[in-house]
Amino acid sequence: MDELRKIIHIDMDAFYASVEQRDCAGYRGQPLVVGGAPDSRGVVATCSYEARVFGIHSAMPSAHAHRLCPDAIFVRPRFDAYRAVSRQIQAIFRRYTDRVEPLSLDEAYLDVTSSTQHHGSATLLAREIKQQIFKETALAGSAGVSYNKFLAKLASDLDKPDGLTVIRPEQGPAFVSALPIGRFYGVGKATEKRMHEAGINSGADLRARTLIELQRLFGKAAEYYYNAARGIDHRPVESERPRKSIGAENTFQTDLDDVSVMRENITTLTEDVCASLSSKRLRARTLTLKVKYRDFELVTRSQSLAYPVSHAKDLIPVLDALLQRTDAAQRAVRLLGVTASNLVPSDQLARGYQLDLFRDSVEPE
Amino acid sequence: MKLQLRRDTLLKPLQQVIGVVERRQTLPILGHVLLRAEPNKLVLTATDLEVELVANAALDAQPADGVSKPEIVHETGVTTLPARKLLDIVRSLDESSEVSLQQRESQMVLRSGKARFSLTPLAAEDFPSLEEEIEFASEFAISQHVLKRLLESTHFAMAQQDVRYYLNGLYIETAGRKIDAVATDGHRLAKCELKDLGQETARSQVIVPRKGVQELLRLLDDSESEVLFQLGTNHVRVSGSGFRFTSRLIDGRFPDYKRVIPARIGHTVTVDRLLLREALSRTAILSNEKYRGVRIRLAPGRLEMLAHNPENEEAEEHLEIEYEGDPIEIGFNVTYLLDALAAISGDVAELQLIDANSSCLLTDAGDDSCQYVIMPMRL
Repeated sequence: MDELRKIIHIDMDAFYASVEQRDCAGYRGQPLVVGGAPDSRGVVATCSYEARVFGIHSAMPSAHAHRLCPDAIFVRPRFDAYRAVSRQIQAIFRRYTDRVEPLSLDEAYLDVTSSTQHHGSATLLAREIKQQIFKETALAGSAGVSYNKFLAKLASDLDKPDGLTVIRPEQGPAFVSALPIGRFYGVGKATEKRMHEAGINSGADLRARTLIELQRLFGKAAEYYYNAARGIDHRPVESERPRKSIGAENTFQTDLDDVSVMRENITTLTEDVCASLSSKRLRARTLTLKVKYRDFELVTRSQSLAYPVSHAKDLIPVLDALLQRTDAAQRAVRLLGVTASNLVPSDQLARGYQLDLFRDSVEPE
Repeated sequence: MKLQLRRDTLLKPLQQVIGVVERRQTLPILGHVLLRAEPNKLVLTATDLEVELVANAALDAQPADGVSKPEIVHETGVTTLPARKLLDIVRSLDESSEVSLQQRESQMVLRSGKARFSLTPLAAEDFPSLEEEIEFASEFAISQHVLKRLLESTHFAMAQQDVRYYLNGLYIETAGRKIDAVATDGHRLAKCELKDLGQETARSQVIVPRKGVQELLRLLDDSESEVLFQLGTNHVRVSGSGFRFTSRLIDGRFPDYKRVIPARIGHTVTVDRLLLREALSRTAILSNEKYRGVRIRLAPGRLEMLAHNPENEEAEEHLEIEYEGDPIEIGFNVTYLLDALAAISGDVAELQLIDANSSCLLTDAGDDSCQYVIMPMRL
């Protein structure tokens, strides 16, 4: 049995619009639309709660919003300002837990399972985080607290703005049963339509289906829906989305036809890649060389290694061998690229790090 | 080309050469086997451009049982046939059946009983061969089982696709009457020596690529019959009755392995080899599946083995041994210990440990011809 987790989902209320209203007294209490101009083809990014009263919502064409509320104030988004606030909020989250997964500038999951503040009460923690955000940014957010990401996100949306909702483990299944199917995470317009066609309109309808029936309808996603209908969601809060690969490439002003010049370029690219690897404390198990010939034909050659590497001196011989597996000696080359993938954090290597007979000097960083 | 022979006569050489035929080839002809029908034999050749295997089917023109049909080459000739298809066909025929092979215009027709297969050959002159004349600087005769044992005791430690390409093979050094075989992937090293070959041979040092070693192992049996082992600058060749193995060598310098074999310092303990092997296999079940780490702890009177995994499961076991020194604790990839314990054959294994950062030396207490060096793992 998995340990019961404590997940908080924080979602800032009408984020862009609230920042604008905070920074400009004239916007306060007014229907405010952040996004495209009403006479443009732009859309609404966010609108203030005063504007929502008129039926305006995000993603709506600005022209339509203007028709709904001719008095609304339209402003262009100031992303720099939003990013600055976002950094402040993220810093607050990290005072409470390392396990923060930002979803966007104004939204994040926090796994506070191992937090000890407030005797481990996630509800009290969520309240304190909300208060702290308000104190430091003068902005309100809503929090959802539950035992997985799916329910925490639903909860944060239940009592907006400035809400705090808790879905306890024993409430989870009943809560999910009553939920319209379109509210499930991962159910967009298209899936919602297919669910309705299959007679699935609520969480309870979904729960009545067997895994096999769902697999027939939705293939690979079936297991997720099957669990979701039972209030189960195993997705972890991923504080750092693992980088899949790190690469560098160069298109030359004039095509290269000298292999030794290509090798020099590969060395330079490799050094760039290695600098990124070491700054991110990663090592790579797979190396890929990308070669685009004069006629734009693109080929890649890859090699997986027995152990992860991060030093240029370990990468270059492999890439040289990969270059020999291309037609670079016969055909002019317009682009070269080096990619390191299958990445392993260096600090994971400390554990399970296998010492080497001949290269003891390569110690875990 | 036209011949008839028993199914088993054709199957054996096919199975001997098939291992070298890559499942996915860059050149279609590398998926083919070359068949050369000579007056009294059929010679099969397969290659991947690095390793070449030649196997003979000796035809029995006058079967002693007086019942079987004679095996005869009616018309000599040479052709190539898709290797795996040919093997699959021959293997699926009845054990005692007879096979005929005959050229029919552009096709080769194989018949057996009521079955008929028409296969498409490729031009035999396009079949790649390693250089015609290979010069060998040294050679010696060695019985198959001795050579097989030398390879079996070391080959598992070869690296696989290592950047240090010279580790992706088996190092063989001959000097006087002695042969050393060494394999290492950097994490562990296996070294076995054959102290007296019974003959003098020229000094040479070569690295046989991994694939070649594996194919050679498949060809050798446990018999006393001798094979001729030849070493050249770029090639190694082993010829026995009915087969000839040739491989290119890895052009590189093998590391100074003698430097990493620990001198006999540190703490040496002796343990029952099978008891240790079984206990380690059990403990390993709950080790981290990725790292396979097992902690070995020497304490007075005991050798303890401990493993745990991310699921918080644990295994521990101990053996009683004679040991009075300070406690030592070292982590190892258990696979390396098990490989070495499987390679030695005596009842008692000797284990020499120094500290958590130094290599361990594992040997057969009654036979010092093979040495296994294993680097620790941080746990």
